[in-house]
Formats: sequence, C-alpha cells, structure tokens
Amino acid sequence: MATEQDLKNFSTQVTCPDDFDEFWTDTLKELAEISLNSEIMPDPLRSNDDVKVFKVKYVSLCGLEIFAWYSLPARGDKPYPAIINFPGYKSEPPVRRDWGKSGVAVLSVAVRGKLRSNTEFNPGYPGLLTSGLEHRDRYGYRGVIADCVRGVDFLTSQPEIDAERIYACGSSQGGGLTLITSALRPEIKGGVSGYPFLCCYPEAMSLFQSYPYDELACYARAYPDQKDQMLETLKYFDAVNFAPRIKCPMVVGIALDDEVCPPETSYAAYEALTGDKELWLFPNSGHGNAHDYPGQERAWIERQIGLAGVAS
Amino acid sequence: MTIEADRFWQQTEAALSETPLDLLIDRDDFYSQPDWDVFQMRYTSSGGYRLFAWLSVPHGNGPFPALIRMPDYGSVHDIVYTPLRKQAVVMNPTYRGQRNSDEVFQAEYPGLLTEGIGNPDTYAMRGVFGDALRSFDALLDQQGASIGDVVLTGSGLGGALALTVAARRASVNVVAANTPLALGNPESFKPGLGYPLAELGDYLRMFPDRSDAVKQSTEDLDPLKLASHITAQVLLSIGTNDTSSCPLSFGENLSEMIPDCDLRIYRGASEGGGHEHAEVQLYWLLDKLGLGCVTGMSPDK
Repeated sequence: MATEQDLKNFSTQVTCPDDFDEFWTDTLKELAEISLNSEIMPDPLRSNDDVKVFKVKYVSLCGLEIFAWYSLPARGDKPYPAIINFPGYKSEPPVRRDWGKSGVAVLSVAVRGKLRSNTEFNPGYPGLLTSGLEHRDRYGYRGVIADCVRGVDFLTSQPEIDAERIYACGSSQGGGLTLITSALRPEIKGGVSGYPFLCCYPEAMSLFQSYPYDELACYARAYPDQKDQMLETLKYFDAVNFAPRIKCPMVVGIALDDEVCPPETSYAAYEALTGDKELWLFPNSGHGNAHDYPGQERAWIERQIGLAGVAS
Repeated sequence: MTIEADRFWQQTEAALSETPLDLLIDRDDFYSQPDWDVFQMRYTSSGGYRLFAWLSVPHGNGPFPALIRMPDYGSVHDIVYTPLRKQAVVMNPTYRGQRNSDEVFQAEYPGLLTEGIGNPDTYAMRGVFGDALRSFDALLDQQGASIGDVVLTGSGLGGALALTVAARRASVNVVAANTPLALGNPESFKPGLGYPLAELGDYLRMFPDRSDAVKQSTEDLDPLKLASHITAQVLLSIGTNDTSSCPLSFGENLSEMIPDCDLRIYRGASEGGGHEHAEVQLYWLLDKLGLGCVTGMSPDK
C-alpha cells in the first residue's frame, strides 16, 4: 500500500508543451464551429415517479454523433442545478436516477467509442488508449475530451438548467475527464475526481503491469522507435497539465491500494491544482471501491449546490 | 431443481452439443508479454453466435492450473488481468452481445437483462448462460495450453455464471463468486433495487401484464435452483448494502444451498468486500491451486 509520504515524494517527469494552450484553443474553436444539433427523446422505460429520463444525441468533433442519458427531476422548481457524469474506460455510462428526488439534473455522457456512440469510431477496450497516438491531432482522446466539452455545451443550451450550477464528477477515466473538462470549461463550478486515470503517463505505464495503462507499454514494446513520439502526444492529454488551469473547487479521491491508477500519479494531478482543492485518501481500498467514496462524493456536491441537509 | 428448470438445462446442453465448436486461436503479438503469451479465442455457441475470449498462457511447460474469469454485466470483458496469469492459464470469455461477440447482436446496458424477456424462447439471458458453459468446454477443447485443475471466478452476473457452470460441470472443483446476480429469484423483482436488477422493475412498470412471462423466462436461471448440484468448494462474498445484484437475504440463502460454501459477508459494502475481499480471494485461490505466493493485485480486477 502506498503511504501519504510516498505520494508526496513522487515527482513526475511530465512537462507541459509550450503550445499546450494553443492546441486546446484551436481544438475548442474547431468544436465551436460545429452545430450542436441536439436531439432529446423521452425514455419512458427508464423514467419513474421521481425522474424523467431522456436519450440525448448531440454532434461533436469531426461530426460524430454522441449519446448521453439525461435525467431530469419529475418535480421541483426550474432551473435545475446539473451534474455532468463522465464514464470509466470500459464501463458504459450509467442512467443516473439517484439525484432526481433532490431536484438535480444529470447528464451521463457516452463518449465516442462507447455503445450508442461508436458507429464511426470504435477502437475497443483495449484499444482506445493507443488509438491515433502517432499524432496529437489524431489521438482518440482529442475527440473523447471534445465529447465531454460538448456535454457542457448541451447543458448550457437547455432552458431548464441553471447554467451557474453545473458540477462534474466521475471515477477512473471519468475522474481524469472531470479534471480535464473542468479546465476547459469554466461553466463547471466544481468537480469530484475519483481515482483519476489519464495522469502521468510515463510513470503510470511503468509502475504497474495492469490495463489500461499497460496498453501504452505494449505500444512502446511493439514500436520502440515511436515511444518518444507517443510520450510527446500524451503530454497534450495529461490531466497533470490541465490541473493548473482549473479555476473551480476540485476534489481528488485516491485509494492507496489502487492497482489500476497508481496513487502517486493521481496525487500529482492533485498537487498540480492551484485553486480550491480537497484530497480524500482511502487506505485499504483499491481502484473504485472505497466504501466511503460514493457518500462523500454526494455530500460534497450537495454542499456545492446548496442542498446540504436535504434528504435524497 | 424443478422439472421445468431441468428441461431448460437439458435443452441448453442439447443445443450446445449439436453446434460445432469451430474453435480458432490466434496469438496476439501486441498484447503478449515477456512472461506470458496472450491469445484471442473464437468459438461458436448455441444459435450460431460466435464468441470471443482472451486467453493468457504462462511461458514454460505445463500443465498449468486454469482460471476462467466469467464476465460481469457490461459491454466489455477486460483483457486478461490478474497476478495469477504468471502461473496459471487465464481465460476471460465473453457472452453474446458483448464487445467482440457482437457480430449479429449488440447488447445494450441497461437493456440486456430484459432483451426478449416476453418469451422464454427469445430471452437473451438464457443464451448467455449457455455461452458460459460453452466457454468452459472451449477451454478444455483447446490444444494450445496444457491445463490441470480449472477454477472459476466472477462478480455479479459473472458470479452467477461461475456457479452455474460449476453446477453443470462436475470437473470444476473451485469457485470464487462475488455478489452473484439474483436473476430469476423472486428477490430480483422487489422494488427499490438498483441497476442491473432494476431493469426488471422498469420492464414490469412498463408492461405490467407480462409479469407471468417475465417469471417464466427468468426462473430457470435462479442460482438457488442449481446450488445444491455444486460439488466444488465455493468462496462466496456478499455485501450488506447490495441492492443491485445480490440482495443480502438471497446471498445468505444461496450459501446455505451450496454444499461446501465459505460465505464472507462485508458490512457496509455493496460490492462484496471490494479490495478487502480481493485479497482474501487471491490467497484462497492460491491455496486451492497449490500455487506459491504472488505479490501484486487482486485476482478478479
């Protein structure tokens, strides 16, 4: 098990490219030129007395159609505060009905490659982490991150959403995407990043021999002459480089026995945050399974929204 | 087991025996490691569904003990990932509709649990359980690796599949199942459950007149109906807060029905002990397989 001191002693070799901001400014500009073209379809099968569930589609980078589950409170005063929920690497985005009673809307995004968002881009799992690594403009995560940004665009375009109260959360890949999207979209007013993936790639791919990071080690072994280029590309997609650009309050949750995302690498992202921040360390817990994490996540978001003390 | 359930399993076995396995195994050069080789397996299950599995084989001479990690309820079953892969053959099979086994049918999540549920003959999950049996048979049939004892693990749906295969294949002598899915058991229809079991409630809310058909489609899959046939040693973990896969009372009843069951109940847990149980399970499996100590991660992560 890693100790808190181990985390503090860790130093990443990741550096930020000089043109990092320019690259993402250009990417967001390209995205902004694409019409959102959102569709919202009621899903009575998943709706209940507390929550109305909708299937959402919107258009993202390269014109790809992205799917999301959109859960709205069945009752309560509009506009609703909202949560944008980012998915893990291999898991499907959940239908989040657990916030409906509290009067909170949730958008749960199926980034490209996930079911319902994979007709034109489908690298698989394993596969996504190395898809297009040869160039930053073609790297699969450029589109994945754009899909998350587009989710925020969708929420701000909806009249029933309070655009001043949008929060982000997710675990593992969802934790990494929470950090990255919060850096790119000031509309996000706070976030909880659990067991974040997408941090400190050079160290993460060598500290453990576990997937998904091991995909990078496989790539480096298969194409040793392209390893430097791979690491250069990854600098533009490392949450550690996004963290200083986050202006909203942010929580990072780390399991000290995490066997998928090395705790040191997640901690480096926390260290790089320069705004209001909070660290949750979970000893004797592995990746995604700290018993107290879900409750703490909910309580923190409730406080941010202003729901503290309201029964869910 | 009821007469109806016995008839269902006989039909399932007959359908499998009438279907040529048509097994193909290809080494995956990209994902093979310095200490073990990774293979992609493809074989056919009932109804002609082509199924996919990841297989890892340690370097060196066998026979090796074999571990089948049954897939949980989700679109992806990960590439082989357990410290035991250094000393054991490890198979990660998928079922119909999962990624790489989705040529003719792409399952949805949520969605699969009620796919075709209005009629037992069209209910997709009945085929999924047959696919689990097929994966076990495919591992025994392959010639690429020399294997010894076969153990099964799985969580959620994977736990139910592992127990089912153990009940139907007497050569399985060790099973580690976490929070097996209560599909088919009356507990799965109770209100207030989370996904995936909540899919059943969604369906019945939408189609209240189909409750008899839903019961008929699912009841043969109830793990309780096969539990007494399991001759393997079973390590079973459940969590007191589980409302989505293995409700506490169901798990306790299941443990009582399995002749040789080591039940671990985790207070305050929903997933069956998580990291704490992963360590317990790893050392339990090492002991049962007669393997030395392995440093590293959970066997079922």
